[in-house]
Amino acid sequence: MRRVSLLAKVDLDTCIGCKTCERVCPTLTIKVKDRKAVVDEQRCTGCGGCEQRCPVFAIKLVERDDPYTIEFKIVPEMKDKVDELCRKAKFHPEQIICYCTETRAEEVAAAVLAGNDTPEKISAATGIRTGCKIECVQPILRILNAAGITPEKPEGYQWYGLTPTLWDINEDVKKRYSDGGFRFDDDIEVFEKVINAKK
Amino acid sequence: MRKPIPPAKPKKSQYGIDPNLLKKRMAELPGITSVTVKELFPDTPDVIYPSEAGKEAIREATIKSLENVDMSMIKPENSVNICASHHGFTLLGGEAYTEMLKTVRDEIIRRTGCRNVRLRAGVGMRLRETEEYIKAFKLDEYFEGKAKGVAPIDKGIPIETEIGTLYGLNAIYDADFVVHCHNSDVREVHFHRQVDRAVKPFGMSYARAETRSTYHQNLGPRGANFTARAIFNSEFVQKKFAFATFLNMSPAGVVGVVSDNDLYKLNEKLTFDGLKYYGKIITLFGQLSDCIVGLDFPCPVPYVFASGVIYANFVSANVDLFNLESLAPYTWYTESFYGKDGKPLIPEIPPVNPKIKMVIHNYAWSGYPSAFFSTHTPTIVVGREQADLMSRCPMNAKYMDHAVIADTLDAAMEFAYKVTGTDKVLIFDGAAGGINVSESLAKEMLEKAPIVAEKVDNELMPIWLKQRGIDPLALAK
Repeated sequence: MRRVSLLAKVDLDTCIGCKTCERVCPTLTIKVKDRKAVVDEQRCTGCGGCEQRCPVFAIKLVERDDPYTIEFKIVPEMKDKVDELCRKAKFHPEQIICYCTETRAEEVAAAVLAGNDTPEKISAATGIRTGCKIECVQPILRILNAAGITPEKPEGYQWYGLTPTLWDINEDVKKRYSDGGFRFDDDIEVFEKVINAKK
Repeated sequence: MRKPIPPAKPKKSQYGIDPNLLKKRMAELPGITSVTVKELFPDTPDVIYPSEAGKEAIREATIKSLENVDMSMIKPENSVNICASHHGFTLLGGEAYTEMLKTVRDEIIRRTGCRNVRLRAGVGMRLRETEEYIKAFKLDEYFEGKAKGVAPIDKGIPIETEIGTLYGLNAIYDADFVVHCHNSDVREVHFHRQVDRAVKPFGMSYARAETRSTYHQNLGPRGANFTARAIFNSEFVQKKFAFATFLNMSPAGVVGVVSDNDLYKLNEKLTFDGLKYYGKIITLFGQLSDCIVGLDFPCPVPYVFASGVIYANFVSANVDLFNLESLAPYTWYTESFYGKDGKPLIPEIPPVNPKIKMVIHNYAWSGYPSAFFSTHTPTIVVGREQADLMSRCPMNAKYMDHAVIADTLDAAMEFAYKVTGTDKVLIFDGAAGGINVSESLAKEMLEKAPIVAEKVDNELMPIWLKQRGIDPLALAK
């Protein structure tokens, strides 16, 4: 769940149309048209990605007149499928996968099962990845992957690809670095306990 | 009663309140005194900074540390990126780290004839933070217009590693060579657990969001530290890596500057030094009784400093953070393992330090997801402006759901004393060389420090070193 109280505003006199904002927006709600950035005000989540990366400081975050909340409701009939998808992606359904918005795996899984098939659509549907925009990209990609979906990559830098998890580290790597303090198998054990926790 | 040590000055930043709104520092409260690190632990090494020599001591130490570093791979026609991180600028006002960066640049130019030396300074989650430091320390002028702040959502570059594809920042690697300039304070020991501390920025400040997400979501609370090693070991990075230079830190300040072409050799030394220098103060923090905590430093909530240790470490100090057997009470992994009822999903997740009875947020920045802290410890935020700052932050929409507001610091303290029933106060305000505390807590720290020191030297240090595969005798050779 994400409360949205801010909105990106572009100073058109300062904007140089470089498209940096477009390339970092996690919900694809800012686009450059006729060499000027245009915000879809209805859908902007006020995450500040564009404001923070604009090279000429043409974007500011302002208070919205119409604050709103983004939340994807899980319908009870979906619960079993949601839980199954979370666990397939190696998450407990209640596990928090976005620390800024406290979005849990089950909300993202439900959004995926409802047809949101890219990280951008999932961010727009749940609010995930609209805080820091950094830490939760892999859980989203993992849940999509577990659902058998290969998302279409946007033209910008929103995300590049799925990366390894603990379960992908082969025995040879584990053995070679066994005295380094990495404790791969201990961490797998912790994860497995969490994934299978009864709640 | 000794006078408090002057706290770190507030900084003008888009991530904090206007310094003019900060009416009173916690060190000005009645009954606050100070204890130096040296008083607590007499074997604390002498520091070169802060000292009377000022930043010149850093320049001299940096030049000396570079004497045995091979720079012959860098030719006059090459380009070099000096890679830096935001954390260094938060240490002791930032002057020491800045001077180290400038000196490394000057020495590269002097010794190789290469003039295309750029600064690439990475960030955490405050994506313009190093831009602010570059401006404040006039680094863009010093680097002749070639200084740049880089962020994890900037253009990336794939890096093939032995565990699969990870992603670095294009601007970090867009030179023929990279020079890694960092600091050794244990800082986020709750995350890195003092495993590959010197390598970590390759998986963090210099990395794309995908890689950082791998660290904090995919590889586990201890396994995550392999992320940086995987990237650093890659053929791509090895071809570009020239050398590393570090401020070697202790809780009292800068012990020295160390440089090496072999990052792992440097890593082993800094891992050992970090355990030795910080092990005692963090263990002592874990022994303290009930107290009120003050946040009063220009950094986000978990990163405010007391005697070189950040608040996030105190939140986890009820567990031995250096012992790899245990899980830390605060990391993003443990945060993620709390269910909807507010309880951990598994019993192995330890609670946050129960000795923290109340937190006074007198001055700390936004720009880091901090709701975990206000959820788990009663928190009073001083001033409406600061509360609004947190609520406006996209990473902290829920921080104020769990905190209350006091108009003044005095009102907050009056409430805290009354409700907690303790007069013990521990202030995270960046006081250099020591720590500002209430008289009662100073007494307790001085009484407990010798016992803690003995335990660390004789009991804990051998365990910590063994778990990291470090042989102190081999290191000494």
